[in-house]
Amino acid sequence: MAENFEQHSDISAADLARLTQEAQAEATPSTAKIIWSEFKADKPAMAALIIIVGFILFVMIGALFINTPKMMETNIMGYFNQPFTADYWLGADSAGRSVAKQLIVGSRNSIGIAIGLTVISSTFGICWGLISGYFNGYIDWGMQRVYDFMMMLPMTMMIIVLVTIIPHYNSVTLTFIFSIFYWEGTSRLIRSRTLAESEKDYVAASKASGTSHWKIIFREIMPNISSLIIVDCTLSFAENIGVETGLSYLGFGLPAQTPSLGTMIANANDPNNITQYWWTWFPAALEIIILCLSISYVGQVLRRAADSSQRQGSVN
Amino acid sequence: MSLIEIKDLKVHYPIRSGFWNRVTDSVRAVDGVSFNIEAGETYGLVGESGSGKSTTGKSVVGLEKVTSGAIMYKGRDITKAENRRKLDYNHDVQMIFQDSLSSLNPRKRIEDIIAEPLRNFEHLSKDDEKLRVLQLLDIVGLDADALYKYPHQFSGGQRQRIGVARAVATNPKLIIADEPVSALDLSVQAQVLNFMKKIQREFGISYLFISHDLGVVRHMCNNIAIMNRGRLVEIGTRDDIYNHPLHIYTKRLLAAIPETNVNSREAHRASRLAVEEVYREQQSKYYDEQGEAYPLVQVTPTHAVALPENVAQQLARQEGEVQA
Repeated sequence: MAENFEQHSDISAADLARLTQEAQAEATPSTAKIIWSEFKADKPAMAALIIIVGFILFVMIGALFINTPKMMETNIMGYFNQPFTADYWLGADSAGRSVAKQLIVGSRNSIGIAIGLTVISSTFGICWGLISGYFNGYIDWGMQRVYDFMMMLPMTMMIIVLVTIIPHYNSVTLTFIFSIFYWEGTSRLIRSRTLAESEKDYVAASKASGTSHWKIIFREIMPNISSLIIVDCTLSFAENIGVETGLSYLGFGLPAQTPSLGTMIANANDPNNITQYWWTWFPAALEIIILCLSISYVGQVLRRAADSSQRQGSVN
Repeated sequence: MSLIEIKDLKVHYPIRSGFWNRVTDSVRAVDGVSFNIEAGETYGLVGESGSGKSTTGKSVVGLEKVTSGAIMYKGRDITKAENRRKLDYNHDVQMIFQDSLSSLNPRKRIEDIIAEPLRNFEHLSKDDEKLRVLQLLDIVGLDADALYKYPHQFSGGQRQRIGVARAVATNPKLIIADEPVSALDLSVQAQVLNFMKKIQREFGISYLFISHDLGVVRHMCNNIAIMNRGRLVEIGTRDDIYNHPLHIYTKRLLAAIPETNVNSREAHRASRLAVEEVYREQQSKYYDEQGEAYPLVQVTPTHAVALPENVAQQLARQEGEVQA
């Protein structure tokens, strides 16, 4: 059989290295290179990327040097201390706790939950949508009824109830509780694209080439909807920061002794704080705005990189 | 024994309607089709769009769920998925698609696209695999540069040749070519068809050539089946079909081939209108009460037509007199 090909082609094993090299020279740049050149072409997005990566690294590492229980102790001497002093860079709240330190630990908690939530719920939602859309028929019908049931549950109410029932919880358990309810949107979005994608001829060609269903789902279809996945993940990351923040603000998120962006913004519940002690809530609010804006900038670049007609960068 | 025997193949799609969404009727895309493909030959399947020829082709590759009937290969019915698995069926039967762009995964490099059947069936070493891909590219007349490019960087003709290379990769016995050139312009059509013929000569592959273009079919095929409304209306050799057509549908198809000779334009138009006239007046003779084709009857050893026995004999006699 191999001889059959040898006979009808002039190419033999001797040419392999040379031809590979020739092909290498003509190779189309990889996706990672295209994304990078797209960032280089868009300065604000580059700044946004640096802000996000730098900030996340800073809070993750910085939080390691802060003794949280000690930080959270009430210190009557620091009652609403003014910002920009030697002891309190960003002032102190009503219990005399440093806003700057709370901000670092709180950001770590909030961002950690947002990342964990995005990873878990998106992975699950993507798999659910891909499998449901690809197999279609009865499998799709069953999976979509499960989806409908989950959508029917009042999400915020359920989370509040669960948080009240569970006696001891921390940021990890909270992430899992959120994850139960936040995969649906992603799964529907992915399913709708998968339905369209699995009708295309390249899927039929893969089936005719003897490729297994799972390989077709994750190696053929998934790369083709990767732009959708990337955009959805970045947007849901920005949204997920808001999820934890919102619930903590309402008092049903992280426990009171664990600082988070939400508990800090909750300081603004008090009219006194809004008018006189702005430093207790303003830094956290500003941080969320900057983070979410930056993420959406990065998301736009990724979307452009996936669509060759919108690209601004030039590779090479 | 034939390479592939298709016996009374039926593919019906359910139509659901009403409040309970129950199956109320079915679309009979393919309705009782039987023919055999011999090793090394090109079998043409011709018909207008919607006549069920692509569905037949997809059933033969195993992409379509068959309602009833059998497709025999090596003595087994490959309409069942387990038989396909046991035989490594798609190692021997491959497909070339009509739309060259959508049939190549836009996110994969050419090397991975062509190597896909090899990876599933032959498990070659990395170097052997790359060598085979390079040889395949060479056979379809593409340079080694193509190896790490993406499908959108090629022209339609080049892409279709990549599709051909992928289909040939495992050295199959039968390739289903589903309108392989109808999306290409004429000069490129000839180029792709010639590559297909060359590969057939060199590797001894059979083709099931699905097309609505009778000129192309004449160039490619030894045996031809004409399909209409899910059924075969005429089977025969190239000579039978092109020179002694019996069924009105075949005559209409042949009359629809454009004539480039400007001088005989009027005559050609008259003959076209004559065929159309016969079709309008004698439809009831050629189709049964439900407007469907009759079962096939043998007229000569190679030629069969879907007509009642007496009508077929009468037409064959007439045809013979005209020829004489």
